[in-house]
Amino acid sequence: MVRRTSTVLVSVLGIALAGFSPNCYSQKEQTLCEVTVTAVKPERFMIGQKVKDIDSTQLAQNRFTTLANFLQFQSPIAFKSYGAGQLATISFRGTSSSHTAVLWNGVNINFPSLGQSDFSTLPMSGFDEMTIQYGSAASCVGTDAVGGSILLRSVPKFNQTGLQAIAGVSAESSKNYAGQAGLRFYYPVAKNWKISGKTLFYGADIRNDFGNDPIQNRKGAQYPVEPMQTLQKGFVQDIYALHSNGNLFSLNAWVTDNNLTIQPNSLSLREITQTKAQRYVLSYNVGKTLLRAAYINDVLDYGRADNTNPSHTDIDRYLFRVEHDFSWIKSCERGTNLKVGSEVTHYAAQVDGYGKELKTENRAEFYLLLRYQHSLRFSSSLNLRQALVSGYNPPFTPSLGIDYRVFSSPTDRLNLTTNIAYSYRVPTLNERYWVNLGNPALQPEIGFNKEIGAVWKRRTSEHFHQQYSINAFHNLIDNWTYWNPDKNYKVENLQQVLAKGIEIETSHRFITAAWEATAQFQYALTHSSQQKAYGPYTQDILGKQLIYVPRHSLSGTLGVTSGAWSFTVQQLYNSARYITFDHSGRPFPSYYLMNAWATYQHKLKQHRLHFQLQGNNLTNTLYPNLKKNAMPMRSVSFNVIFIFNQKK
Amino acid sequence: MKINSILVALFTVSLLASCEKNETEPLQPYDTGVIVVNSGNFSDNNGTLSLIQRTGQTTVTDIFQKENMRSISGGLSGYAEVNDKGIILVDNSTAGKDAIEIVNARTFKTVATIPSVEIENPRTVIKVSETKAYVSAWDATGDFSNFYKNPGYIAVLDLTTNKIVKKIAVQNGAESLALVGNEVYVGNTGSGKTILTVIDVASDAIKQTIEVGRNPTLIGLDASNKLWVYAAGELQKINTSSKTVESKLKITASNASKSPSSFVLSADKATIYYTFSFYDAADGYVQKGETYSFSTTSTAIEAKTPFINRLFSGGLAVDPQTGDLYAGLVPSYKQAGYVFRYKSNGTLIDSVKAEIAPSKFFFKK
Repeated sequence: MVRRTSTVLVSVLGIALAGFSPNCYSQKEQTLCEVTVTAVKPERFMIGQKVKDIDSTQLAQNRFTTLANFLQFQSPIAFKSYGAGQLATISFRGTSSSHTAVLWNGVNINFPSLGQSDFSTLPMSGFDEMTIQYGSAASCVGTDAVGGSILLRSVPKFNQTGLQAIAGVSAESSKNYAGQAGLRFYYPVAKNWKISGKTLFYGADIRNDFGNDPIQNRKGAQYPVEPMQTLQKGFVQDIYALHSNGNLFSLNAWVTDNNLTIQPNSLSLREITQTKAQRYVLSYNVGKTLLRAAYINDVLDYGRADNTNPSHTDIDRYLFRVEHDFSWIKSCERGTNLKVGSEVTHYAAQVDGYGKELKTENRAEFYLLLRYQHSLRFSSSLNLRQALVSGYNPPFTPSLGIDYRVFSSPTDRLNLTTNIAYSYRVPTLNERYWVNLGNPALQPEIGFNKEIGAVWKRRTSEHFHQQYSINAFHNLIDNWTYWNPDKNYKVENLQQVLAKGIEIETSHRFITAAWEATAQFQYALTHSSQQKAYGPYTQDILGKQLIYVPRHSLSGTLGVTSGAWSFTVQQLYNSARYITFDHSGRPFPSYYLMNAWATYQHKLKQHRLHFQLQGNNLTNTLYPNLKKNAMPMRSVSFNVIFIFNQKK
Repeated sequence: MKINSILVALFTVSLLASCEKNETEPLQPYDTGVIVVNSGNFSDNNGTLSLIQRTGQTTVTDIFQKENMRSISGGLSGYAEVNDKGIILVDNSTAGKDAIEIVNARTFKTVATIPSVEIENPRTVIKVSETKAYVSAWDATGDFSNFYKNPGYIAVLDLTTNKIVKKIAVQNGAESLALVGNEVYVGNTGSGKTILTVIDVASDAIKQTIEVGRNPTLIGLDASNKLWVYAAGELQKINTSSKTVESKLKITASNASKSPSSFVLSADKATIYYTFSFYDAADGYVQKGETYSFSTTSTAIEAKTPFINRLFSGGLAVDPQTGDLYAGLVPSYKQAGYVFRYKSNGTLIDSVKAEIAPSKFFFKK
């Protein structure tokens, strides 16, 4: 996919580290003429929704971070972590861990047996761009996008020439080590063809060593430390071939291998979880048509002690998609975009828990995304999607969004937004096929999200930019599945959850010739609760905040760059989290986290060397994970990254 | 100097005076009532002990945390007292992180912690002498294909030193314990082992084993001094002198898919209560069942008329003081359960809210 704006985008691997990219502000505005050159990104159709691009500086700075550790600083995204380096599942806007779609190059990569992603196995260096979409966008991206979606992309860089190589190492005081090495290349190969691509290998050995004794704080809270080791390795390969007529071949591959061992030092006590994924996406953009084929294989093995007989999950997915963009552009400010597409996916699951036979399932989706822009003041979208699944069909899923600029001056702009969207979640393979407990007749979960928002952008000078936004949402999710203990944990569509909340974001940026400073801040008030009684004792839980969802969440990032130096501070506050449906017992107390970086960039001819000192949990906050073990205390890491640029 | 001497003298007098006062032993907060062992949700490691009184609705929740400013790190699998010491079995979901907490049974202030390296998967604790408790344990478990991979053991806990002084290897899956005179009988769960192990309390050595059939669960000694065991799907009466099985009885019922559990003897040792349940495949696997009883002198056991027309998944216990039946109700492992109380004639007394999964009870004086 080529956009004219790509000329202003800087290389993620390169220049971005030096300073703040032009995309620091979310949703850079593009004219219709710019965006409709070839395919239009699905985000363009999410009118009236809160959509945020994560700037490449933050991505580059977090090159040794997992997606879980990064996203927890983006309120209202909360994580349910079983320990550092261990399973981390998301709760977005008060929804469950299977209510966030994770797309990589347009393909949902949630683990199909669980319908969710383990964000601890997804490192930030596995992709080039990230967009966070808040609320229901199932009509745009399909199943799971009930509470939100995380869109990860690999991006070709045809603007640079020659070869760029990168090598980085990280050593953390808690005995965590990581390294990565890769290449990014660009060559014109024939008269009409340009080749570009990226190869990256990465690995990590994570121990989170904070001793063996329970850790106690001054308030008397005490949590044990769980001995663990995570060995993570992965490989990213992107190859792009661009023809001068604009047609583009892309091959994106991402292979991950994550081995978590609890009690690594005792053979008899060991507990091993091996998660492997192979993801390949082959795309061909010909004119305004996209042809895409993908193969994803997910393997999960869980064993104990000498691990001779692990329980095994092995799921293949084959996907084919055809998409075409139509556009009727009257001017760069007025016009209509229409995306029509369909996809088919075949699932083949060999899972111990499903019995001996291979379980297969076919799914198909048809979608029509319509965006109408009347003027710079007014744009709207109407998106329609119908999914079909072997055995039953999810409901028709429409959404409608409006963005209206109520005020505009040379310095200020105020936009009001609204969006009404249905969403759905196809039951996971476990929910359908687990022997006895699964339920092939399970209905899809259905969400109905309404939201309104206001965005005020202010640019009083070239040196000072501000943005303030407020969003309110009301998301009612019905047929919410529950593994019912009254029925020996058979899964049923028993629950109904109402998630509602208010989110406030501010963003400030000062730029002078000598330095640049940014401040971003997010606050979220989330109330998510059970609405429907489904048994005699559910009276005790109705209306009560769902477990592990903080009611108040604050996060912020401060950054200063001056010359070769840059400093960043990331902060997070989450209010108390309940761990029981009825709020009995002691909730997990509120906690505050602070991470900070100091980066110095040294230039060696055309090459660059980055030295980064990173402090994690600087206030040494003691807080528990889901197993009531201590999360990592204060640690310091030192990262060195070398970027080699071929002489031009 | 003089003033100091006077002060010392005054201090000594006051100390003596306070010593005198102590002879009348002020009541401590946990002297009376019933300790409820709430097992917690296994992977949440949130087991707690609550204190309820024999009458009334008040519950003191999470008493260990309340008195020690730290929580128990794991689920709970048992509680017993040896004189003034309370022994709490802690089962953490991570292998190698279990523990035994020893507290002052009257104040619940911590006395000692037996660390995880010394105990793995503790299951049941009983008092066997004035200074000693036995703790059954599974040791480390394996994966689902061979879960009870290690022989179980009995940890001998010396309450004068608060240390495990011996581990007696027994059959895999060691679980239920029964003290009969100077001997402790050890049953097992799940592993398929078919014996009871008999241990001499004086020497902490195995005396012999008795063949009874798969997965024996000890129920207790009845009024005529026969030891009841449920093994291989049968209720068996054991003569503890000759160590032989005297009789075997099967529970008969119209519904053959029901299975019994949670056997408990009445206060007069003449009746055995139990739960009898099944998962109804025809009705979405809803667990269905009731609570039944039979006389220890019965020659046939038929589950026909329920003692209580209700099923309790959290376990049963009888208060030896009042004869009341305590039953744990677990709505889910993510919300507080309830303790239901019944008179020995089956009349409901009341229900008291406890914590996550009330499953065992300890009756104080």
